[in-house]
Amino acid sequence: MPEATYLDANELVINMGPQHPSTHGVLRVILKLDGEKVIGTECVIGYLHRGVEKIGENRTYQQFAPYVDRMDYVAAVSNGLGYCLAVEKLLNIEAPPRAQAVRVILTELNRIASHLLWLGTHALDIGAITPVFYCFREREEVLKIFENYCGARLTTHAFRIGGLQYETYEGFEEQTRKFCDWFIPKVDEYERLLTNNRIWVGRLKNVGVLTADECKEYGVTGPVLRAAGVKWDLRKAQPYSGYEQYEFEIPIGENGDTYDRYTVRMEEMRQAVRIIRQAVDRLPAGPIMGKVPKVIKPAVGEVYVSIEAPKGELGYFVVSDNSTQPYRVRVRPPSFINLQALDRMVRGGLVADVVAIIGTLDIVLGEVDR
Amino acid sequence: MSISKFFRTIFLVDLFQGLWVTFRNQDPKRIYTEQYPAERPKVAERYRGAPRLNINPDNGETLCIACNLCALACPEDLIVVGSERNEETRRKELTTFTYDTSRCMFCGLCEDACPVDALELTQDFELASYTREGAIWDRQMLEEGPRPTPYKC
Amino acid sequence: MADEHKPDGPAPPPPAGGEAGTPPAKPAAPSAKAPLPKPPAVMAVTPWESDITQLLKERFDGQIPEFSTYLGQNFLVAAPEALVPVLETLKLELDFDYLVDITAVDYPKRPERFDLVYILYSFARNERVRVKIRIPDGYRPATAVTVHLTANWLEREVFDMFGIQFEGHPDMRRILLPEEWQGHPLRKDYSILKQDQAWVRENLSIESGQ
Repeated sequence: MPEATYLDANELVINMGPQHPSTHGVLRVILKLDGEKVIGTECVIGYLHRGVEKIGENRTYQQFAPYVDRMDYVAAVSNGLGYCLAVEKLLNIEAPPRAQAVRVILTELNRIASHLLWLGTHALDIGAITPVFYCFREREEVLKIFENYCGARLTTHAFRIGGLQYETYEGFEEQTRKFCDWFIPKVDEYERLLTNNRIWVGRLKNVGVLTADECKEYGVTGPVLRAAGVKWDLRKAQPYSGYEQYEFEIPIGENGDTYDRYTVRMEEMRQAVRIIRQAVDRLPAGPIMGKVPKVIKPAVGEVYVSIEAPKGELGYFVVSDNSTQPYRVRVRPPSFINLQALDRMVRGGLVADVVAIIGTLDIVLGEVDR
Repeated sequence: MSISKFFRTIFLVDLFQGLWVTFRNQDPKRIYTEQYPAERPKVAERYRGAPRLNINPDNGETLCIACNLCALACPEDLIVVGSERNEETRRKELTTFTYDTSRCMFCGLCEDACPVDALELTQDFELASYTREGAIWDRQMLEEGPRPTPYKC
Repeated sequence: MADEHKPDGPAPPPPAGGEAGTPPAKPAAPSAKAPLPKPPAVMAVTPWESDITQLLKERFDGQIPEFSTYLGQNFLVAAPEALVPVLETLKLELDFDYLVDITAVDYPKRPERFDLVYILYSFARNERVRVKIRIPDGYRPATAVTVHLTANWLEREVFDMFGIQFEGHPDMRRILLPEEWQGHPLRKDYSILKQDQAWVRENLSIESGQ
């Protein structure tokens, strides 16, 4: 029996290293290939670990709010919303209706911004270089609204515990309505560029299929779960911050492949515009800050509150020991848990599909590593 | 496959639709690029940029009352307020004020905490310096603001 | 300091303030003469009864000492050996098929140092439940990977941050920190300014600024 030389080895191990334009951050994926087909992967994460949970134990409740923006830095407003809702639940207070409505508007704008960045970078990874410029142009308008409201584009720190810090600025409603009217034709433009394009369909259809049962097993949430056909959205199932007042649809897909995730997210952008229009039309007058004590010292206890972030279910588990600093802040990161399913999704695909699948999971390494 | 779909596939209709979108955006009226540094972006009024210690316009004295609330509010503990007690008015007066912009995350908590609107985050965003120590601002730099060298085209 | 969470069967009577578990956090009114009631040193929970608790009480008689609710969120405290059977029962018979999160809380002054928390959600019932077990340092709980596949990376992270090893886990190694890192950062005795200086010196060849 001739000795096996290394030329007979069928398995090739290559490294898709932390510095890679398509891994959406510092993600290292070790691929085991048989030719071009992927037979196994291993994700190495932790390059962006900053110890946010440990910082949470050493800052007061109000001081910790700017740090949570930096986890999912693409959609910072939802992180802030989740944290403020969790601490408000611990204190058993609720933000006034006007604050809730403004929070909904900013969170949905933030959802549009996050999906725009997702679309641009995903298309860029697949090879369609044009959408990224258009998406960032639209994103620029959303960031202008954020800047006018709270002073920062990316790490907004827009919400405070108990409500809002800033009253809406002069012209907020007008600018938001103008954005909504301007934006819907742009979504149609992206669809014209991509949806029926044979190259796009060929690269995305039947790639990275994750069925509904697999999604539930892996704990995957967000657009990935909805593309698999499960009509579940935390904004409808367990509404928070006044979402029960607004009418919107939950888009679902059929096959759970990458193309369905694309259509689900495009439709989510349209539904977000619908929610924003309703919220701006019905913006109630009133105070913007609830009755919050000057020194926040919640009673001993723990609470878990989660919201539907653009990437999935973002949860905060806050444990308090009646001091000014939380005892433990745990962030349930949707990108971390969605990334676990990468291994199942790439089996049998090609290397080019790995790039498409990492893009479609919409991960942000700031959230994966915290 | 219907006849219209057959012709759409042969004549690459979907690809040309996409190309038409791209072609339409070549119109010079749709150019979205800002030619920085020749044209500076106009930032919002509430923009959280460089910190500034405000001065009372009437008598030229600082508005800061050295209450130390900004230092307590800062998550990064980068403000150090030095004060001494003035025996005549029996009030605290500000002597030194150190602000470390290299660690600042421009969250705005110090600006929110100030009771007299002395500390304000302005619209300046050009804060670069050549040394690490240059990023630690003392009271004089805070009152004047950063003076970046203007770019001459 | 409130790091004793004693498993109370009948909850202590809630302090003056009406609702369960929420003492007033600021003065009620300027004219109130009575001093502020001190918030309780342990979590002010109320007991939880439902069909879920009935079924679990039948199955695991004695192994689940506490079923409680705090601020409307239900949780149960189980004995550490009963963890995986409880998770299996919750998944297969009570439709809690989605494991939301696994995390731990460190109470260094307690003999059972860690509070390991599993958060579960049921799509059918639209309800969440928390399963907590109290384990001492060095105890190796059974892995939940056989019941929920999500537990793989979540348990690796708990090991990385707290040092709790899970028995039977297919790949028990660090996930966020480098493999050779010494120490478990989220423990309370690991100072926030501390780093594994030896690792930093060797791999990054710098003297760390902390």
